[in-house]
Amino acid sequence: MELFTDTFADIKKYIQGKDCRFLVAAEQKNLWPSGRGRNVVLSDEMGVELGNPRMNSVSCLIWTQKNDLVHDGKVSLIGPDIRESSGKSLPFGKVVLVQVSGFDEETTYDKYKEMESVRYSLDLKGYMIRAVSQYQREWSRISKEAVKNRFSFEILASALRKEYLKKDYIHAVEFLFVTSSAEDVGELQDVTKNVGRAISALNKMLSEIDPDCDECEYNDVCDEVDELKKMKKNRDEKRMNANG
Amino acid sequence: MDKKPKTIALCGKGGVGKTSVSALMVKNLAQRKDLRVLAIDADPAVGLCTALGIQIKKTVDDIRNDLINSIKKGEGQDKTATLKMLDYELFDALTESNNLALLAIGRPESEGCFCKVNSLLKDIIHDLAKNFDVVLIDGEAGVEQINRRVMKTVDHLIIISDTSAKGVNVANTIKHLAQDNKAVDYKSMGMILNRVRNDREVDDIRKNAPLNILGWLPEDDLIREFDFQGRSFINFPDEATACHTVKQIILDLQI
Repeated sequence: MELFTDTFADIKKYIQGKDCRFLVAAEQKNLWPSGRGRNVVLSDEMGVELGNPRMNSVSCLIWTQKNDLVHDGKVSLIGPDIRESSGKSLPFGKVVLVQVSGFDEETTYDKYKEMESVRYSLDLKGYMIRAVSQYQREWSRISKEAVKNRFSFEILASALRKEYLKKDYIHAVEFLFVTSSAEDVGELQDVTKNVGRAISALNKMLSEIDPDCDECEYNDVCDEVDELKKMKKNRDEKRMNANG
Repeated sequence: MDKKPKTIALCGKGGVGKTSVSALMVKNLAQRKDLRVLAIDADPAVGLCTALGIQIKKTVDDIRNDLINSIKKGEGQDKTATLKMLDYELFDALTESNNLALLAIGRPESEGCFCKVNSLLKDIIHDLAKNFDVVLIDGEAGVEQINRRVMKTVDHLIIISDTSAKGVNVANTIKHLAQDNKAVDYKSMGMILNRVRNDREVDDIRKNAPLNILGWLPEDDLIREFDFQGRSFINFPDEATACHTVKQIILDLQI
C-alpha cells in the first residue's frame, strides 16, 4: 500500500532546491568497529552532536512498493559532513526512503515497526543514538575519537543500509541527511509532517473496531491519503453490509 | 560489553549527613578520569544535586508523570515505542559534567498505582547504567524505594549513620529490611559513621551494631559550612580528613 506518494515527490523537490552533495552507502564501507554495547557518548567525549532536543530535529522513514522512487545506496547530504563539524552541535534532519514488497493492510503496520527498530540495532563505536518515532526526532552524538577516525554519513548510511537489507521485504534504501541550518531542518519538518500522522491513522484504523471518524484527530490525513481513504471506504462498506 | 558497572547505594536516617557523604564519594569517583560515573539522586528532596552544585532540568518523575498523563488522555502506544521515548527523555534529563552524569528521580506526584510505568523506567535506568563504570545512588531513609524506583540489585549497600542511638537504630532497621525482608538485593553491606567525635564512639557502636563499619568521618565544621551555605562538595578540599576517608572506603570496595 502506498501511503507516501506525495511525500516522496515533496522530498525529491526539497532536495532539488538545496545545495546538496551525493555520497554512496555501500557494503565495503561497513568496517567500522563495534561499540561493544556501550551506546552512550557523554558531552565530555563528544566530537559532534546532531539534533539535540533544544535544536531543530526531524527524522522519519517512508516506504514505497514502486521500483523507481528509491535509488539504492544513494545518500543526499545537505550541509556539512560529520568530519567537517568537529566540536559542533548541529540541527539534524534525516529521512530514510525504502523500497519494499508485500505490504498490505494486514502487515504494513507491523513491518513499519520492524523497520523503525533498525536504527537502534546499530552498534558503532563512538556513535550514540536516541530517537522517538512519535516525535519524529532523532538525537545523536559522535565521539571525538570517532570523528578523528573519520566517521561520516557515508559510514553511518552504509551500516544502516546493511541492517535494513537484512529484512527480506526491503530491496533498496536511500538516505537524506540535513545539517545545514535550523531553517532547512524546519522546512523538512513541514515536508514530512504528515508521515507520523498517516502511520498513526493506519494503526488506529487497524486497532479500533469501531472508530468514530468525525471525532478522530487523523480524519484529515485519511481524507488526503488515497490508500487510507480506500481502507476507510472498505471498512464502511463492510460495516453497512453487516448491518444489513 | 567490557564490564558491569559497580553500583553503590547509600541510605540512612534523615539528617545524618547521608547526602554530604554521597557528594564526597561522587567527588572522589569523578576525580578519576578513567571512570564514567552516574550519580542518581533518589531522594525526593534532590539534595545530591544541590550538594554537587548541579542544576537539574527535569527529574525521572517529571517524565513518569508526563507519560501517565498521556496514557490517561488515551495516547497509549506499544511497549517498544514507549521504551524508546523514555530512553530519549531520560538521556535528556541527565545533567553532564565531564565524566560525571547526574540523574534526579524526584518526587512522584500522580496518585494511584503505575507499577508498569515504574517498571519500564527501572529497565531504562538499568540499561543506561550499563554505560558507566560506577553508579552511585543517594537514596531515602528506606531501602525499599531504591528497589521500587531505581534498581533491583546493587553491589554495595552502604548505610550512613551518625553516632546517635536513633541513627544507629535506624541503621539496624535498614539492615534488617535489606537482609531479612529482601527489600533490595545486594552483594555487600556496610556502614559509614558520620560526625564522629572520637575513637571511643566508634568502638561503642561497633560493639552494639552488627554491621561492618567501612569507615568513619569526623565531626567537621567545614562539611557543616559547605552544607549550610549550599556550596558544591566538588570543591571540598582534597586534603580534608573526610576526603581521605572516603577515598580509602572506595578503594576498600575495590572500585
